[in-house]
Formats: sequence, structure tokens, C-alpha cells
Amino acid sequence: MADLLTLGMDVGSTTSKCLILRNGEEVLASALVPAGTGTSGPSRALEEALASAGLAREDVAVLTATGYGRSTFPGADYVVSELSCHALGAHALCEEARTVIDIGGQDAKALRIGPDGKLESFLMNDKCAAGTGRFLEVMARVLEKDVSDLAEMDEQAEGIVPISSTCTVFAESEVISQLAKGVDLCSLVKGIHASVAVRTAALARRLGVVPPIAMTGGVARNAGVVHALESELGTSIRVSPLAQMAGALGAAIYGYRKGSESA
Amino acid sequence: MSDVKRMLAELQGICNNPKAQLDAALEREQKVVGVLPYFCPEELVYAAGMLPFGLWGAEMQTSLSGRYYPAFTCSLLHTALELGLQGKLDGLSAIMVPMCCDSLKCFGPNWKYGVGSVPVIDVAWAQNRKIPAGEEFTRARFRAVLAKLEEVAGKPVSDEEIAAAVAIYNANRAALRAFSAAAAAHPDEVSPLERCEAIKAGYFMDRAEHTAKLQALTEALNALPKGSGKPLRLITTGILADSPALLGILEEQGIAIVDDQVAQESGFFRTDVPATADPVAGMSQRLAMLEGCSILFDPEKERGRELVRLAQGADADGVLWIMAKFCDPEEFDYVPVKRMLDKAGIPLLAVEYDQQAGSFEQARSAIEAFAEMLRG
Repeated sequence: MADLLTLGMDVGSTTSKCLILRNGEEVLASALVPAGTGTSGPSRALEEALASAGLAREDVAVLTATGYGRSTFPGADYVVSELSCHALGAHALCEEARTVIDIGGQDAKALRIGPDGKLESFLMNDKCAAGTGRFLEVMARVLEKDVSDLAEMDEQAEGIVPISSTCTVFAESEVISQLAKGVDLCSLVKGIHASVAVRTAALARRLGVVPPIAMTGGVARNAGVVHALESELGTSIRVSPLAQMAGALGAAIYGYRKGSESA
Repeated sequence: MSDVKRMLAELQGICNNPKAQLDAALEREQKVVGVLPYFCPEELVYAAGMLPFGLWGAEMQTSLSGRYYPAFTCSLLHTALELGLQGKLDGLSAIMVPMCCDSLKCFGPNWKYGVGSVPVIDVAWAQNRKIPAGEEFTRARFRAVLAKLEEVAGKPVSDEEIAAAVAIYNANRAALRAFSAAAAAHPDEVSPLERCEAIKAGYFMDRAEHTAKLQALTEALNALPKGSGKPLRLITTGILADSPALLGILEEQGIAIVDDQVAQESGFFRTDVPATADPVAGMSQRLAMLEGCSILFDPEKERGRELVRLAQGADADGVLWIMAKFCDPEEFDYVPVKRMLDKAGIPLLAVEYDQQAGSFEQARSAIEAFAEMLRG
């Protein structure tokens, strides 16, 4: 029986992720472009992943689009919500996980998944950038740092400067006033991460936390946020190296299931 | 265009252009009284020969209302006040304002100060509505409202006229219930938005005329074979579920509304005014019989039990709660009602709704995921 190649395209608000699977299990290639919906990011991510796998678009049997820009991505065979795809992807990355926390560029979600990876219930954050990747980007800009520097700064912190505001705009003012006082930058970053964790933990608690917990989305790459969240929830959190690709992986798995049904 | 689509389009036109209905009433020299939610004694307005005109806010941006209400007030009251402040409701002879939530308590004073040209009739009804003293209080307050309406109408209103108005309203409620059932049986003929528009049109037109149109529509629907498709069957709950964008998402996802517990919809038509010697006492009794709304004093959370009954009775796949942003009573109800639904094994999705919001993409993701989850 011929291989079934499926492609998952996760068109996010700030990044585009593409992942190609062989027979629903083997990752042939993946690509991440730091440009999201409405930009060249999605097509570049698609081209990069295909090139990396040495494939042409026609070689892929099923293309499934997910993420914020899923409905505008051309040529998708299936369009599936990012919640369903993150549930499938998180299950593939961490089979035991029953709760998934996904923090993306502009939203945060808590998912409950069943033993088969099926989405059972979920909650999304309200319409506010606080507690999302955008919040961290804004804070990094104020600190004249790159968002990728924040985890290392958190690790070097000797204390914590609390950030009390739950609003991105007010928190930015608060951070600026702390900078004016000359506080330690690393301790300030730790405080910023703690504020994200408090907000995200509240979302997870509203859903009901059932361990084990897995974390997906771009913010999962920030160990400072992950540790703050572990501390806030009082339990460990599993993070796969492919955490940011979980949505694209779930979309590719979804495509595989659909492709298998029709084969 | 089929008869059903033509009749739905006619009601849609009325629903989406309330100003035309207001102007037409003024043209025929009929006085019009604005009616804010919730559960105002509209029948008394009708009995006085005036047109009750629903004020459910609007999907719009506000600028003037911010002088009177903080940003964390529900958009229904923000936009209703904005319409008044912009002079778009100047043709009204009065507005009725109930005092059943904190924000509504401020509406009357805000309106009196800001709008001025349209007088306010305060409507008080008993929170302890089920005890005899509560029923008597509500009856007495409705009589006081009647006296104000008589001043506006410039004529006395007899109990016979009130009883006749009650009969017309009960007939309208029966027609709405029949239409809602017919729409649930024909989801391929009546979209969620069309269902809503047909119901909402009644707030801007003569109820007897609305009844006639609904009865013709229901008859035409019932003459058709039942829908062969297999949509997801949802019950909606909340204050308002009239956003074209949100209801459009439901249609895209193949979702049918098979019953509702929405204040603007079945909140009006589920319960009739009982027959009583004093028709105003009957209106008070109706208020005591109402269930299923966060604005009503409901210490046992009968709302949750009713929702379970509705979902089970309609063989619904789940419940969609369209949560009015910044509505405290709705948010207070969420936890106990969710627990009741969880216990009954009925999935629930809550989606926040703000009439001033321009984008519904987050709601789209949530509704799509909910539909995917229910379809397995």
C-alpha cells in the first residue's frame, strides 16, 4: 500500500507552521515562518516544508488548514478549528495528557482531551492580549530585548518584581515605572512571566485541571512561563520540542484520518 | 422565491428597519412607546392604542453614552442610550424602563438627563414575584404604569381594553411558539438568523399583524416535508441572540436552533398571561410564572432545570450560551447552570457577545470547535 502523505498548515496570528506526515506518524518535514495570517508567511511555510521533504504539492494527498487564518488559506482539503487540531497534536506528542494549555500569539486556550485525543471541552481567553504571546512581545519591546531572550533572563533572576496588572496596556505602564525605578531586569521578566501564569492558570482552573498537563503553542518554548505556570498550578507540565507545531501536527493527523477513511 | 422565503424576507425587512415602523406609526398619528427589556407590561401600551416599540440596543459604536455609563456596562444599554442621545428615538412619546438590574436602575436617570425630550415611565416589579405580596406589589405597580400611560395616550384605558390586548398578546405568543416549532422541524428552510428575525420583528410592529404573518409562515412551513438534513441541534440561552454575524456562523457550521431560552425570544412567548378577572393581576401572575432568565429572582436556579428539560425535550446535541458581555446576572448564573447541564451530560459552550464588537473570529473558532466536538 502506498504511503499516505498529509500536510497540516497552522496559519496563526503571528506565525505560520507547516508539517508533513507520512502515514499519520512519521514527521517528514516541518517549517515555521514568523509571519502569520494575511502575510506571505503561510505560503512560505508551505514551500519550505515541501522543499525540506523534497516533495511537490501534488505529492501530498490531504492538506488540512487550521489556525486563525485557516479559512483564507487556499487549496485546503479540510478546514478544522485550532482547538481540535491542538487536541490531536498534543495527544500525539504526549499520549497521557488530559489537559492541554495552548498559548499562542493572541489567545490562550485550555483543553480537556480524552484518552483517544478527542476534544471533550475547552475554554478560550477573553478578548484581551494579556496572558498571550502578544503580551510577552510587548513587554520584550519595552525592555529592548528579543522575546526569545526572556526565558534565559528569567533563569538568571535572583528575585521577582510583581506585575499586578492583568491588562497589557496597563502592565506596559507598570513595567515602564519599574524600569524608571531601576529594578533588576531579570527579576522584572520573572514578574512578567508570573503574571502570564496567573492569568493562564485561572483559565485552566475554570475548565478544571486534570493531570497530566501538556503545553502547546509558541509560548511553550519559554521555560520561564512554563515554570511559573507549574508553580501556579502546583504540578508539572509536559512540553514537547514540537510543542509549537502541535496545531500543524494535529491538522496533518486529521488529514491522515480523513484520507484513510476515503482510501 | 418560495412562499416561505418571501414571508421570511418580509419579516426580515421589518426587523432590520425598525425606524421605518416608527415613522409609519407616527405618519398614521399613532403614538409609540419605547419598551426596554425585561418583562415590561407591553400589553398596557397596546391597550392604550399606542405601539410598543422594543428597545434592544443595536450593533453600533457608541460615543455619547460614555458620558453616562462606564465602559463595563452591557452594550444593550450603552447602545439603547446612544440611540436616544443621537436623537434617533425622538418620535417616541415615552419609554418604559424596568429597574431589574443595576445598570437598568441608572438608565432612567441617565435618559432623563441626557435625552429629556422623551419622558421615562419607571417600571417596578417585585423580585419576590411568586409570593402573594409580590404578586400584589407587581399588580399595583403595573396599575401605576397604566396611569402614566393614560397620561401619555391622553385617554383612559378600560379593563376590557386591557383584556383585549392581553388576548392579542397571548395569540401572538401562541403563534411564536408554533413558528419556533415549525422552524425547528425545517432547519433547511429557516436559518438561525431568519428564525431570530421573524421573532424579533414583533417588537416593532402591531402584534396582531405579526401574528397573522407568523401564522401564514408557519402554515407554509408545516405544509413542507420535514428537513432531510442532519444539522447539529442546539438550544440557545442568554439575553440576546440576534447578531447576524454570530448566527451566520451557526448556519455555516450546519447548526439549527431547535429551541431557545433567550430573553428576547422565548422569554417573551413561552408563558401566556393567565385568564383572571382583573387582567392586570393576570399580567402580574405571568411574571410570577416566568422562568429561565437571569434577571428573574431564581434562588433554586430553575433556569438550569428548564434548560435541561428543553435540551432533552428537543433532543438537542448541546446548549449555546450567548453571554452578554458585562452582564453580571448572566455571569452569576453560569456556574450553577453549567453544573446542572454537566450533571445531565449536556455539552455547553458560552460565547461572549458585545453589540459594539466588530469581529467575531474568536467566537467563530469556539463555535467551530464545539461543532467538531459534538460531531465527534
